[in-house]
Amino acid sequence: MWQAIKSVLAAFLGVQKDARRREDFASNRPGTFIAAGLLMGVVFVVLVALVAVLAAR
Amino acid sequence: MASTLPPKPTPEHSTATAGGMAEAGHARPRGLMRWLLTTNHKEIGSLYLIFSLTMFFIGGIFALVVRAELFQPGLQLVQPEFFNQMTTMHGLIMVFGAIMPAFVGLANWMVPLQIGAPDMALPRLNNFSFWLLPVAFTLLLSTLLMPGGGPNFGWTFYAPLSTTYAPPSTTFFILSLHIAGISSILGAINIIATILNLRAPGMRMMDMPLFVWTWLITAFLLIAVMPVLAGVITMMLMDINFGTSFFNAAGGGDPVLFQHLFWFFGHPEVYIMILPAFGIVSAIIPTFSRKRLFGYASMVYATAAIAILSFLVWAHHMFVVGLPLVAELFFMYTTMLIAVPTGVKVFNWVATMFRGSISFEPPMLFALAFVVQFTVGGFSGLMLAISPADFQYHDTYFVVAHFHYVLVPGALFAILAGAYYWLPKWTGHYPHLRLSQWHFWLSVIGVNLTFFPMHFSGLAGMPRRIPDYALQFADFNVASSLGAFLFGASQLLFVLVIIKCVRGGEKAPAKAWEGAEDLEWSVPSPAPLHTFETPPDFHPHRQH
Amino acid sequence: MRTLLVWMAGGLASAALTPIALANGWNMPVGVTAVSRDIYSLHMIIFWICVVIGVIVFGAMFYSLFRYRHSRGAKAATFHEHTSVEVIWTAIPLLILVGMAVPATATLKNMYDTSEADLDIMVTGQQWRWRYEYLGEEVAFTSNLGTPREQISGADEKGEHYLLEVDEPLVLPVGQKVRLLLTSDDVIHSWWVPDLAVKQDAIPGFVNENWVRIEEPGIYRGQCAELCGKDHAFMPVVVEAVEQERFDEWLVERKEAAAQEAQGVDREWGMDELMERGEQVYGSVCASCHQPDGTGNPPAFPALAGNQALLDEPERHISTVIDGVSGSAMPAFRNTLNAVEIAAVVTYERNAWGNESGDSVQPSEIAELLEQDE
Repeated sequence: MWQAIKSVLAAFLGVQKDARRREDFASNRPGTFIAAGLLMGVVFVVLVALVAVLAAR
Repeated sequence: MASTLPPKPTPEHSTATAGGMAEAGHARPRGLMRWLLTTNHKEIGSLYLIFSLTMFFIGGIFALVVRAELFQPGLQLVQPEFFNQMTTMHGLIMVFGAIMPAFVGLANWMVPLQIGAPDMALPRLNNFSFWLLPVAFTLLLSTLLMPGGGPNFGWTFYAPLSTTYAPPSTTFFILSLHIAGISSILGAINIIATILNLRAPGMRMMDMPLFVWTWLITAFLLIAVMPVLAGVITMMLMDINFGTSFFNAAGGGDPVLFQHLFWFFGHPEVYIMILPAFGIVSAIIPTFSRKRLFGYASMVYATAAIAILSFLVWAHHMFVVGLPLVAELFFMYTTMLIAVPTGVKVFNWVATMFRGSISFEPPMLFALAFVVQFTVGGFSGLMLAISPADFQYHDTYFVVAHFHYVLVPGALFAILAGAYYWLPKWTGHYPHLRLSQWHFWLSVIGVNLTFFPMHFSGLAGMPRRIPDYALQFADFNVASSLGAFLFGASQLLFVLVIIKCVRGGEKAPAKAWEGAEDLEWSVPSPAPLHTFETPPDFHPHRQH
Repeated sequence: MRTLLVWMAGGLASAALTPIALANGWNMPVGVTAVSRDIYSLHMIIFWICVVIGVIVFGAMFYSLFRYRHSRGAKAATFHEHTSVEVIWTAIPLLILVGMAVPATATLKNMYDTSEADLDIMVTGQQWRWRYEYLGEEVAFTSNLGTPREQISGADEKGEHYLLEVDEPLVLPVGQKVRLLLTSDDVIHSWWVPDLAVKQDAIPGFVNENWVRIEEPGIYRGQCAELCGKDHAFMPVVVEAVEQERFDEWLVERKEAAAQEAQGVDREWGMDELMERGEQVYGSVCASCHQPDGTGNPPAFPALAGNQALLDEPERHISTVIDGVSGSAMPAFRNTLNAVEIAAVVTYERNAWGNESGDSVQPSEIAELLEQDE
């Protein structure tokens, strides 16, 4: 899972090492990546919202 | 996934391949019935493209009515009621009738060819989703002839102007949008099914051409947001005809709710109209730079990132409706962030050209113009993201300039680039070079003369959607109107190019462009009605 | 050639020094408030950021187009990835944006601070005029388009402030923090004055807040920014900023005038007087929908000339004007027009354009009706 989260974070930036990508795409479990993607998506929204709340104070 | 079997042959497939007995039993319908009943992805693709070109000219005529009225201050040609119908219909027709069907048409033609599939996964559904469109748009256009006129509340149809205060024809407008929406959803399902199931053996997801990738992501966006549009127009329908008060403040409803729902659909919709354009440009630039696309993987990631972010930025269209401060900040930050993956795309295109071997055939000209002008639209988008400044920009011609830069010299130029790129594949002939170049240069001049001065009129204080304006905006509007007529007229050249290209011209080989790499260039030009009936041998030229 | 000139002029003007750009009216106005200056500087910062990025990106692009032409025999390289370059060109825009977000956030917080206002004005959008109410001062009036129809149709030459002039401007004191409370009686409007950098939607059922502290006396013009129906282009905003003393005098004048008008309710009005006043009210309030000749624009705006239902039922005619017709474009004029104006306009509508009912309605009758319902 940690591996998947790291890959998702790299995807958020849009930059990934070629070797790592090959490794990821060789894995036969897209479910893990989808779960990690959703999780990080929620984390991202919460993070931005948090910054907004803090900035608004 | 990639090794999935090709689809069961439909009767029409067997007529073409088996011949003999089958042919006698299932004669291909001729004439009109051939087009009404066709399930062939190439024929349906052509139908989509012809439909979209027709709508482009109808929407264009509406735009020219608007520009003619705005040529000078004062009311000369049309009254405000009709002017509002023209701006509204122009927007609706161009968004739902011209740009979106054009991309679906290109997807119909090219996605099966690019992934080595014999046809779309669901050919009958494909036929249905196309033929819904003429129905929807005939209905929409017919509202102009109804008592009280057609929709006059802008293509964003904000309530309560579009409910309590709307003309009686609004119910028909809602119905036509429903039909167009169903067509989009069905088309999207078909494209997803095709891409996920019908790829040539050996083609993995990360081997797919970017046009296929961008369309896959676009199709998911369509499925996600079209139901939201359907929901919001159904609420309007209820408010108008059944006495509910979703958006009617007098009945305890909330006009701002309409805007939240609309833009939750509307912002991803904007990306629906631009992501496939990224795909087209990402095919053309490497071909004419004779060099592989730089950062293929980051292009895919950036497309996905833009798609996801597009769900998180909708309220930047609503910075002046009185959102709470926290919401205002949240949407400002997310909107600024969306510039990052968009910038990555532009950098990648430039890096693809860097140290390439570049030639300037018509598709490349349009693609290059796309990169520059889309980026100009991106810059004004970045400016609009700054919420405090948006209090000045909002609902002015600056916004009109911004989204036209993204959609006309952006999305439309990418469609034109795609058309020039694939015309040899479709017709077997190269488009007439001189005419294409004339079309290109007149379009570039016309489009910039039309839309660049709008930045200035907007900053100087001219609101959008007004039929008459104060005297200090007059010079900008003269330029815009002249540019619009030049641009409109030069599109007739495009029609001429297509007609000439269908009739004849320099013969194109299977691989029509020297640097072209994708699978569509392995089938003959013109592409025969049925291709890849046996899956091709796919050898990824990207060594992943 | 002309195209090229316009293009070059455009490019030059936008890149030119601020004062030149301003003089030509090509750029956002700096405005006359602290907020408008902050917004202007944000606008210029982000503009220059875009220019710099544009020069770099387009520069690289055109260099490549020129240098690596196929016709010059360029051979394509084979590289197609470079992780560290990609990281850099993702990170740099990110940093620029963070840098931009900081001042933008500060300005926005200031704009949202509507506390401790010296004066509250209720701004109500109506199709197609603005109504201003000085809360706590008992001064209220509507502000209609001041440009004559002949100028719009082209029969007359257009004046200097064509479409940006009103019959009665909003008068505000300079140096005071004025809170604007915005709402609407019908559809969504948007109250915008570029020089004040205030643009805020007026939404039915909501009260939005914004504020302005004008620093220089003057006349500032703007208009409705949200599509609100057919006369969206014809509901300008004009703000006259005056010194505090002048403002106080003006308030007293307004109150006296209102008192005088109230006295008019009690006396008997003659037919000619009512018709004359009615024609004036009709022209500024009713004619935009029902047309100057009363022919209307069915089905949305029914004809008044020769309207049998109107002639047969004077009570309903009066109540329609006072309370409007819910679910239609006909607004309630209860708060917009006073008893004299309603009486006059009803009388006018019942006798103009060949209606000739001979009815006259007295302001005192209307005043009674208005009081009853309250």
